[in-house]
Amino acid sequence: MRIRLSQLTKTYKGGVHALKGIDLDVPTGMYGLLGSNGAGKTTLMRILAGLLRPTSGTVLLGGHDVTTKEGRLAVQRTLGYLPQDLGVYPDLTARQFLDYIALLKGIDERSARRRRIGELLEVVALTEHADRKLKGYSGGMLRRVGIAQALLNDPRLLIVDEPTTGLDPEERIRFRTLLSRLAGERTVLLSTHIVEDVAQTCRYLAVLAKGRLVFQGDVGALVAAAHRQVWTVTTSGAAPSTGRIVAALPHGSGMRYRVVAPVPPDPSARPAEPTLEDGYLALMEAAAPV
Amino acid sequence: MIATLRYEFLMQIRRPVMWIVYGLTFVVLVATMWPGYRTLDLGLGDGHDPKAAMLASARLTMSLLAIVYGCLLADRLIRDRRLGIATILEAAPCSAAGRLVGKYLGVCAATAVPIALVFFGRAVVYTFTEGKVETLAWSLAVFATVILPGLIFLGALALAGPLLMPPLPFRVLFVAYWFWGNLIPADMMPTLSHTIFAATGDYAAYGLFDRARPDAVVYGWPDAALNFLRPAATPAVAVLWMGVMVALAAAILLLTRLHAARSES
Repeated sequence: MRIRLSQLTKTYKGGVHALKGIDLDVPTGMYGLLGSNGAGKTTLMRILAGLLRPTSGTVLLGGHDVTTKEGRLAVQRTLGYLPQDLGVYPDLTARQFLDYIALLKGIDERSARRRRIGELLEVVALTEHADRKLKGYSGGMLRRVGIAQALLNDPRLLIVDEPTTGLDPEERIRFRTLLSRLAGERTVLLSTHIVEDVAQTCRYLAVLAKGRLVFQGDVGALVAAAHRQVWTVTTSGAAPSTGRIVAALPHGSGMRYRVVAPVPPDPSARPAEPTLEDGYLALMEAAAPV
Repeated sequence: MIATLRYEFLMQIRRPVMWIVYGLTFVVLVATMWPGYRTLDLGLGDGHDPKAAMLASARLTMSLLAIVYGCLLADRLIRDRRLGIATILEAAPCSAAGRLVGKYLGVCAATAVPIALVFFGRAVVYTFTEGKVETLAWSLAVFATVILPGLIFLGALALAGPLLMPPLPFRVLFVAYWFWGNLIPADMMPTLSHTIFAATGDYAAYGLFDRARPDAVVYGWPDAALNFLRPAATPAVAVLWMGVMVALAAAILLLTRLHAARSES
């Protein structure tokens, strides 16, 4: 499902501008949406899911205008949404919870519903816990229940908002792998502030900063944004005072710093190969210098 | 709507706190009424008439258990947002109004189950003790006309009230409202008690079942304020009262939906 946004703005009551004239084209497959906290990612996700109305602009998902009631319903029929703050009913079991959401998504036939729930519990590796109450689940297990509910209607568009926040490294990797596997013919929009999650799963991405779209393109292009802007400085003295220090490792009797800066931060600085995180930081520095 | 009704019913009926609070209140009720509660007519002196016995039982049941009913419903509507599940529900391709009605019917029905058990339990005991099968028919008629309309209104009020304030102060106000607006004598102070807006079911009891007050007055308090809201209890007024209860519930639910739609944007 292709997503096209044109001049999308959202201004909340009180005059808070969450999104400012976003133009974005999202193709099928896994797509990353990066941005710091408060960049407007969740607002954008909620607009795409039909939960918020934009102040102005157009939002087309698979040709449906999500700002109209008919368009919103059409999109929601083919949408899977995993919100940032996933909540569940603690006294329901995972199977009951999924059954309830499946009914809300219009899977009325009992046998089809049971079959689909069984398949998804397998996919998210929760079959053996399916009849336990959700109040006993760990954060990672709840995230997997969340992804299972999002997939119930076999969505063409899957929106996942900060899905790995708060997960331990093992769960994070498991979750990322699961999302990549799910992409296939779907559009999976992964919103996160964790650059590593995007680096490991997406070919294309967009970056939001303070409600503005500051980048859209492939991962290589974002990495290239930090070309000749990444340096290593090895020193036993003070840390470099210019640029953004992205890593600091003990090195002999001193420290080795990795710095993103448009010019060498120190006479001894040596150029280094940029990563996606460097590209992201370079972009953020350019968008909002500190 | 059916899915929401089904699961809201399930979640509410399985709440241990519901059964504990109802149980304790029932014990208080019986202890307060003792030894009258032991008698078939609750001490009103007409124990061999199943209709009078069921009307007395309905009045007693509604007097305290309706408070529990309202208090137990008070957190149900805001719970989805508190638990963080509202977003998932709102992203589903189903009508928000349907979900609201489903939630209302589901949680209200589940919360009314203990009330029904107390009321119909007494009816069954009466049937076997007196050997009068017609008691069951009277109990059904009294429940449907005297108890149910009040519960329909109170359910909507208790669900929607916490949209305006946190559940705890709402519960305190609800208890105060119940005593002031439903239980106190009409001539004690200006009150909604015994008016067409009271939820205790007096109008149905007096208007449909010819219930007379112990002092033989059919209905009315000559010196009470707001008496214009207390028309004589006739069958037509009893039906009107039922309509008022349902209409108030519908209006509250409509306002609730409008409030939600406004906050969605």
